[in-house]
Amino acid sequence: MIPKRDNAHWLNDLQSPGEARESALSDLMSLLQRALPAGLSHWLSPDNPLFEDLIADVIQETLMRVINNLHTFEGRSQFTTWAYKIAVRVALNELRHRRWKNVSMDGLEGGDENETSLFEFPSTEVSPEAAVERGDMLAILQRILAEELTEKQRAAMNALMLQGAPLEEVAQRMGTNRNALYKLMHDARLRLKKRLAREGLSIEELLDMFSNK
Amino acid sequence: MKHFLDWLKQIFSPPLQTDPLLPPLIRSLADTKERELTCDEVHALLDQFAEAVRRGEDAARLMPLIQAHLDMCPDCREEYETLLHMMSVPD
Repeated sequence: MIPKRDNAHWLNDLQSPGEARESALSDLMSLLQRALPAGLSHWLSPDNPLFEDLIADVIQETLMRVINNLHTFEGRSQFTTWAYKIAVRVALNELRHRRWKNVSMDGLEGGDENETSLFEFPSTEVSPEAAVERGDMLAILQRILAEELTEKQRAAMNALMLQGAPLEEVAQRMGTNRNALYKLMHDARLRLKKRLAREGLSIEELLDMFSNK
Repeated sequence: MKHFLDWLKQIFSPPLQTDPLLPPLIRSLADTKERELTCDEVHALLDQFAEAVRRGEDAARLMPLIQAHLDMCPDCREEYETLLHMMSVPD
């Protein structure tokens, strides 16, 4: 039975030297041992031989981060929710890295240039006039993309939006961090959105065009 | 006659092709806002957001910027969902 502690008790025990601290760490470890499998079983089967080692590694890293970042806990949530949040970040970063470490992402690391296949519109239900109109629109959009996005932004968008790669992994390969990459992508999206508005192009109409009706 | 010519054009015209990035990019532009929280800002508030959801509060309305980021960012969304799974385990 793990004793219930409120936030003040968790902080007090973890900051006290000796037995109180050891006991609090041991209790937090037990809570993580119970909760992590519920979260991670959606990522890795508990039958996988790597599962137990992963849980052990995540707990160890989480406890270290919790101790090192106790001063940042503001008490706006339960202490255990805050600790779980740290464990989730540690665990998913590790799982994402394992899953993506051998996947190449063109244009991010100066590696091989693979031809990406083109997106093809279904043509059967489109009248010739509509097809011409759509072709013109595509030419405009492709010109806007070429003018507004840098090569790195395009490569990052390809990895994120087409390959479904995680931000953390793309950021690492670009020599940046996840937060900065999100900002970079937000700036690019915003610039494109404003350019489309200046060109008088409606996003709703463009969405219709790409909806594969 | 005109219909016949149109039909021929349609049969023999190559399918329209474009940059494969365009469809997902245009979809993401529809949800792009002038002000968006970053991943770090969302991470700092994710525990409060998840607790509000667990209490049955309308967290998306109370913290719309967090909800907008979770809708836009698959990494943060995965972390939020994993956190909720962990919180569902009784102490």
